[in-house]
Amino acid sequence: MDDIELLKRRLAREQAARRQAEGILEQKALELYDVNIRLQHLNENLELEIQNKLTELQESEQRYRQLIESIEDIIYKISPDGYFTYISPVAEKLLGYKEHEFVGKHASYFVEQGYKGALITYYQRVLEERKSSTYYELPIIAKDGRTVWIGQTVRIIESNNEIVEMVAVARDVTARKTTELALQTTQIQLTALISSLQSGVMLETQDRQVILANGLFCDLFGISVSAQQLTGLSHTDLEALTGNPVDDPQAFKARTDELLACRQASVGTEVRLSNGRILEQDYIPILIDGMCMGHLWQYTDVTKKNTTRERIRRSEEKYRGIMNNMELGLLEVDNDQTILRAYDRFCKMIGYREDELIGQNAAKMLVPPEFIQVLSEQQQQRRLGTAGSYELQLMRKDGSRIWVLVSGVPIQDEHGAQVGSMGIHYDLTARKQLEQELATAKHLADEARQAEKQFLANMSHEIRTPLNAIIGMSHLLFDTRPTAQQQEYIEILQTSADFLHSLISDLLDMTKIEAGRIEVQSRPFDLAGLMRGTQKVFEMKLQGRPIDIDVMLDARINGDFIGDDVMLNQILTNLVGNADKFTEEGSIQISARIRKEEQNQCWIEFSVTDTGVGIPTEKLGLVFQKFKQVNPQGHKHKGTGLGLAITKELVEIQGGTIQVKSRVGEGSVFTFILPFTRSATQSAPVPVPELSPVPMMEWRLGHVLVVEDNTMNQKYIGSLLNKWGISYTLAPDGMQAIEVCRQHKFDLILMDIQMPVLDGYEATVAIRSTRNPNQHVPIIALTASAMLDHKNIALAAGMDDFLTKPFDPPKLLALLRQYTPAELPDANPSVPIALGLDWRHLHDMYGPDLSTASEMFELFLNDIVPEINRLNDLCTAHDWAEVARLAHKLKPTFSMVGLTELEAKMAQIERSASQNSNSELVVIYCSDIIKHTNEAIPLLKNELQKLAQP
Amino acid sequence: MKGLVFTEFLEMVEERFGYGVVDQLLTKSDLPSRGIYTAVGTYNHCEMLTLVEQLSSYTHQTVAELLRAYGQYMFKIFTRSYRQLLDRSDSAFSLFHLIQEYHSVEVRKLYPDAELPHFFVEQPAPDHLTMHYTSERKLADFAHGLIEGCLEHFGEQATVTKTNLTDDGSQVLFDIVKR
Repeated sequence: MDDIELLKRRLAREQAARRQAEGILEQKALELYDVNIRLQHLNENLELEIQNKLTELQESEQRYRQLIESIEDIIYKISPDGYFTYISPVAEKLLGYKEHEFVGKHASYFVEQGYKGALITYYQRVLEERKSSTYYELPIIAKDGRTVWIGQTVRIIESNNEIVEMVAVARDVTARKTTELALQTTQIQLTALISSLQSGVMLETQDRQVILANGLFCDLFGISVSAQQLTGLSHTDLEALTGNPVDDPQAFKARTDELLACRQASVGTEVRLSNGRILEQDYIPILIDGMCMGHLWQYTDVTKKNTTRERIRRSEEKYRGIMNNMELGLLEVDNDQTILRAYDRFCKMIGYREDELIGQNAAKMLVPPEFIQVLSEQQQQRRLGTAGSYELQLMRKDGSRIWVLVSGVPIQDEHGAQVGSMGIHYDLTARKQLEQELATAKHLADEARQAEKQFLANMSHEIRTPLNAIIGMSHLLFDTRPTAQQQEYIEILQTSADFLHSLISDLLDMTKIEAGRIEVQSRPFDLAGLMRGTQKVFEMKLQGRPIDIDVMLDARINGDFIGDDVMLNQILTNLVGNADKFTEEGSIQISARIRKEEQNQCWIEFSVTDTGVGIPTEKLGLVFQKFKQVNPQGHKHKGTGLGLAITKELVEIQGGTIQVKSRVGEGSVFTFILPFTRSATQSAPVPVPELSPVPMMEWRLGHVLVVEDNTMNQKYIGSLLNKWGISYTLAPDGMQAIEVCRQHKFDLILMDIQMPVLDGYEATVAIRSTRNPNQHVPIIALTASAMLDHKNIALAAGMDDFLTKPFDPPKLLALLRQYTPAELPDANPSVPIALGLDWRHLHDMYGPDLSTASEMFELFLNDIVPEINRLNDLCTAHDWAEVARLAHKLKPTFSMVGLTELEAKMAQIERSASQNSNSELVVIYCSDIIKHTNEAIPLLKNELQKLAQP
Repeated sequence: MKGLVFTEFLEMVEERFGYGVVDQLLTKSDLPSRGIYTAVGTYNHCEMLTLVEQLSSYTHQTVAELLRAYGQYMFKIFTRSYRQLLDRSDSAFSLFHLIQEYHSVEVRKLYPDAELPHFFVEQPAPDHLTMHYTSERKLADFAHGLIEGCLEHFGEQATVTKTNLTDDGSQVLFDIVKR
């Protein structure tokens, strides 16, 4: 039962399930049918749709093709690998190529060389990036060779996510491109120009947006971004970037607003920046057809210019101030002397106001007529461009005159052309007055000095003339066989006269030195010899006193030196003389050593050392001063006090120095240094003065003319000449001298200078310039004037030498010897000239036996001399045998009195006369021997006188 | 849930326990379909759970065991219905790979309204395969049975380890290692 129930339930379930499944299947079948029906419909419509669309597409393509062909633009298609597949016919019109020439060619084929690579890159990028539309420009070479710039818009055509081709629309952009290129070039040029401008430039639009600016603009305003980055910024943005803002922003803004409102170009506005720089602002509005299109601002840094200008202005102010305060009147004139500017000080100086002066001719208005010449000369100098100073007078407004020193300077414009001159005037009026007074005073002083000099010269002459006579006479007195008493008196007389003489000499020397009339001579001399000479002179003088005089010489002092030996002699004589005065006993040493030798210059240090009383330290400074005598314990020494002062002057004249060291009680050392040059040649040795006090007759002067007005001097000179056996003629003045000279021939003329009627100079000039036997005879001036200028006048007048009165006999003798005629009336030049007595022979013959000698001399003078004179008569009588006999007899007597040489002459006469070979020669020999014997007489007499003394 | 699952389940119950048990299940269970199933229809999946629970109380077997056994039975049914599909595979692993591809694409085309489980298969080694099962229906035991049926079909020996990744059993990992 249960199974039946179960089966029933199962069947019911199965049936229900079957019905359910049938329902489901029925529903599904219906759905399927519907879908099928829809599909069928869709299929039918689709065919029709395709047909319609195809028609539509054909129409559209036709339309587009027409459109493409009708438009100016070229349309072409390119395959993805870059080959033309289509190009519209308009290409031929533009480029000259037909369609078939394009198709199949690569896109880069027609592109200008140099642009091909860029084009290929461009297409590659298009393909990679798949940009639907891009624009690109390229140059195409047309068939006729032209370059045609093409601008193309390329579109990519995709199908199934792949690019199938590229379609491009291109048009001719050559005109635009050319303009653009030109524009670009212009822009580059302009940019270069602007960036290289020495000014900061900023161009902005009308509403103040920056169009462009250059680097300098950024630099000036401290803008840290580049000039390019400024483009497009507003002026407020720009202000925010400014690192160097303007000093006064409000004033700057006001000024900018004003410029922008006026729209008028403006230049040179000064703008100061907060950093201290100064700019010059120029504003130019950009106007096109009267419309303002923008603003151009230009800034130039003028800081340096300003600073320089300011400095110049200050400097000018400073110097003008200085000029004004320096009491210098400045006047500026042009080349025609028209006054351009007169400065205050000049106006005050001249009394005019500046406005009265400007435009006036300076020369006519201010310069007195007599100074016009000075001015025009100066004016010529100014025209040559040289500055100069000169003095002239100017006329003041009130008519008075002032002296001014004008310093004139040419003024040149910037091209160097002279446009005028500047006169700097210094008022000299007061100085001129002072100058005038000084000149007067100087004139008076000069006159006074001249008078003083003249007085001194006159006085010295007046003193010397009688002194000369005194000294001369005292010399002659010795020849008058004075008694011992008289001898002593004469010696005192002579010493006093010598002292007086030295006083006068010192005074005159000082006068000469002070008058600058001492000339340093340069001649070679034997320095060592000179020093030994000094030593000898003083040895003689110091005979009998316990003082030794020594010379110490540097071994290097040899050969000759060039310098003034006379001055050196005087210096040494003065110093040794001084030492002599203050030394009682001990020694005087003269030494010389070379201090320094360079090339030829030789500095020799001389010193004179004594063991005398010495000089106190505090008085050492006084020794070289004039008229100061350092005389310890009222020393007996006398003198002018000029000796050492003269010495010092003499040393210094020669460029040397002198100093003294001393210690009281020990002695003094005078040291001086003089420069000499070494001589290349050797001079004759200095003749050491002969110890024998008696001069000898050793020349053959025939006849001397003595021109002298002073009777005492006449007597003195006459006596000397007589003494030396020289015959003479006397003329008391110049006029008579000329007269005598016309009649007689003389061997020498001794000529006084100061004489009545006609002085010595005039007489000399007359003798030298007129025809007379004595026109070329030596003339020696004798004058009391020691002045060097007198000597010069004498030489200028034609005189040969100069002898200052009073003179010693040796001085005259030396001169006479010097001017002895060279030619002798001797036919046999080999015959030696008798030169004094043969002392050695006399000494050998007599030894200490002076009485025998005395007898022999007396005998010779009294008996033999008359015999010798007989030779003359025998010659006249031609008694040659007697001449020979007499000569033989007289011959040995000559050597007895020391005339050894005459003995030889006598032997010659004897020989010639006995042979009777040449009577004429015998006559000459006889007269010669007579002459020599007579000449020797004074010498023999003098010797006899000495021998006769106890 | 497709009607085939219900009809084959009831076929298996009838085959094992007789139609009486089928009748009891359908009678005792209060089912919206009143137990009338056709292979071409579609039914609420809760009815399947109800039926399995009823069977469990009758057989004293667990739901899991019953589902696993049903999986093994079901694979045999598939071998008959989907012969051409199985013939494209030469091994269980290759079939699992094929199912992953085929299941997701082709089944969806056929049954666009079906709520299908999701498989994700990985093969770290030739003899090792993992299958990540995700399904709101939580029928992992049924899947387990299907895997075992498949291995049996190809005559292969493998150890299948089932690991619940979530407590509710909606995500499960099968680790299959060939022996």
